[in-house]
Amino acid sequence: MALFTSAVYQNEFLPDGGTDVNAIVTIACSGAGAAGQTGSGDAGEIIIVDTSGSMGDRNMQAAKQAAMVALDHILDGTYFAVVAGNHKAYLAYPMVQSGAGMVRMDARTRAESRRAISFFRADGGTAMGNWLNLARALFDSIGGLAQKHAILLTDGENHNETQQQLDLAIRNSAGQFQVDCRGIGVDWKVAEIRKIAQALLGTVDIIPNPSQLGQAFAEMMQKSMGRGVAQADLRVWIPQGAQVLFVRQVSPTVEDLTQRGVPVNPLTQAYPTGSWGDEERDYHLQVRLPAKSVGQEQLAGRVQLSVGTEVLTQGLVKAKWSSDTNLTAQINPEVAHYTGQTELATAIQEGLAAKAVGDERTATTKLGRAAQLAVRTGNAEATAKLRKVIDIDNAETGTVRLKRAVDKADEMALDTASTKTTRIRG
Amino acid sequence: MTDERSAWPLWTADQRAGELAAQQQREAEQLTADQEFSTLGLAAPCAECGRPVRPDERYCENCGADVHPEVAAQSAAGARSEATVKLNRPVQPRPACLECGGEVDSDGYCQTCGTKAPSARDRFEAGPADWVGGVCDRGVVHSRNEDAMALWASPASASTRDAVLVVCDGVTSSQDSDVASLAAAERARDILASSQPTGLGTTDSHDAALEAALIGAAAQANEAVIAHTAADSANAASCTFAAAVVHGARIHWATLGDSRVYFLGEGAKVQLSTDHSVAEELIRAGSSRHDAESGPQAHAITRWLGRDADDIVPTVGVFAATTDGWLVVCSDGLWNYASEPAALAAVLLEAADQGGSPTEIAARLVKWANAQGGKDNVTVALAHVVATLNTTSPAASPDPSGSDGAHPASTNVKETN
Repeated sequence: MALFTSAVYQNEFLPDGGTDVNAIVTIACSGAGAAGQTGSGDAGEIIIVDTSGSMGDRNMQAAKQAAMVALDHILDGTYFAVVAGNHKAYLAYPMVQSGAGMVRMDARTRAESRRAISFFRADGGTAMGNWLNLARALFDSIGGLAQKHAILLTDGENHNETQQQLDLAIRNSAGQFQVDCRGIGVDWKVAEIRKIAQALLGTVDIIPNPSQLGQAFAEMMQKSMGRGVAQADLRVWIPQGAQVLFVRQVSPTVEDLTQRGVPVNPLTQAYPTGSWGDEERDYHLQVRLPAKSVGQEQLAGRVQLSVGTEVLTQGLVKAKWSSDTNLTAQINPEVAHYTGQTELATAIQEGLAAKAVGDERTATTKLGRAAQLAVRTGNAEATAKLRKVIDIDNAETGTVRLKRAVDKADEMALDTASTKTTRIRG
Repeated sequence: MTDERSAWPLWTADQRAGELAAQQQREAEQLTADQEFSTLGLAAPCAECGRPVRPDERYCENCGADVHPEVAAQSAAGARSEATVKLNRPVQPRPACLECGGEVDSDGYCQTCGTKAPSARDRFEAGPADWVGGVCDRGVVHSRNEDAMALWASPASASTRDAVLVVCDGVTSSQDSDVASLAAAERARDILASSQPTGLGTTDSHDAALEAALIGAAAQANEAVIAHTAADSANAASCTFAAAVVHGARIHWATLGDSRVYFLGEGAKVQLSTDHSVAEELIRAGSSRHDAESGPQAHAITRWLGRDADDIVPTVGVFAATTDGWLVVCSDGLWNYASEPAALAAVLLEAADQGGSPTEIAARLVKWANAQGGKDNVTVALAHVVATLNTTSPAASPDPSGSDGAHPASTNVKETN
């Protein structure tokens, strides 16, 4: 059984009349085991490969190779399927016309599925909502899968269905399965794919060069297979009369969970966190409380990790009202760090969006602020990626100039990586 | 046509060509989308938008709705049903939250309002008989409870109603005074409870015996404080001392420092003890009680128990109740907010009017003091004294000033607050 532990970082002291409590809660998982192998239920994996015409020979060939590499990393016994997607979605493997749309991985099915992938040919348009809908139906065709994960590869914009159709497919899939998304080349829309990945608790990244695809697929599948805890929730209890201002995952990436809560009881919300391997994640909670008199102490929140109905770890977020300004004026370093990292992600995304519509003034301001934050908080990856899009004259003041010639892939890489955060601790 | 009835949109190399042709035809027809499906053989319309849906489609091509919702509903029920949630591991029953009456979790905080449940040292109650009870509480502002309380009462089957009430207030400026004050209170209580001296049967000899017992108890309590103080401590633990022994309607009391003994009833409202404090000396010198007790050294005491105490012989006194009333032994955390006997009596009698045990009435007084600010630890010990039980003596005169005139004000002063 996996072991979960938690730690709370906060300044619990509030000034007289203070109402807002901030805390970073770190949740660590160890001994997670492998997906589908811990006795808590089977795992299912679906590989979704874009076979639209725009893929062309080179990308199609790389995608086929990468899909086959991913197959090699699916553990024997895991249910799997391969979907070919263009403006429609096709079940490429297993080749069954009805009934169970997934089979267990073994030497024979691995060989057969490789063969099916080898027939892929680039043709048609792109309708990712259809791909997600088929994946969901395939997962549903196997009763009682404990853990459901898909890899989605695309190279272009979602031309062949409406925004509403894609949104509906995402909404119907949320909470059903997780999807890690990868975009190949530079003709796909980061915002569109990020929307899928965020709602379906997965990651998004750019693969600028087809030769990197195999490695990326191998890593994604290995990581997924290393998640032995099928599904866990972050539960947040707050006292009666209090209010959650926000709940965010802040490490390894920034994800706002505030609107994703499902009530457990009148004072507790459960926020889905997907599956867990051996890893640590940090959450930022902000709660507003009715102020109490100086000297009073109370609990502002219980932050718990639960699997099913079982609470496996709990961190306590406290509030103590004090008249000692030496205590109340301090900002907890972890809270300050992640507040900066969250602003960094927003500044990058807003800066790039402004740049895309030709608003250079806003883009310069936002990306300047991003450079300032990235350097100040020691986020080396974000700093390096920013330097490919802007010239940083003075990181201290956030004075930057937009580069005249920017490689589109560098800009997209900055965008996809914008939510990645660094940790303050080693 | 068999392909169109299959549940899965199967992709094969052979089928691909056919599918593509059909798709190209459909794309061409998308401009006249309303007729799109009319050429393909109609099935039941989509429940969401009413557009016809082909039999092999799971989802409506127009709006994305699930056209076989029963399939999804089944799987949803299987995988995601959630049983009744039990948030907490089984724990021993705990007292209800003092703030809202909610259940206190095993983590020590209320499950409803989040208020921290006090530790056993921060707040405790005692109710050794149905006429004796008290509450010792951290208050609001202080981080720990340095007050202490120890109570005893004779069993209900005994021929007389006897009780011992001891309150000690640890001096904040000294080390470990929370440990010392509790040790002192319990030692004094144990001594007084185990040796109920009755003298030779006369009132005078009874009084003399109890006076000696109280002085002895203070000396024992002092030993207890010293035993809990490191010998090399630069800031020796110390505390006040207020003890009262009830024998029927006769009350013997002894104090050191500014913890007080009152007798409060409809017919008599008296402060029995006199503080050993700077404030009290100011009052003797002519200051008003209000000015003295709110001045800069209002909480500086001139006598106490502890390794550094000069004089540990308490001021003692006796009071015979002639009307029913309440014996109150309390720390300054209570009387800070109602020093005059009449003022304190008003609060007490209002609390008593609500009924309940002496412990519940004491709890109301503590809550009241905390509502006034709770600037210090608060201890309230109560015994309900019934005048008709005064069988050992014809009404003795009240002696609120005590019998101790031999201890002039000391220049040695401690801050209790």
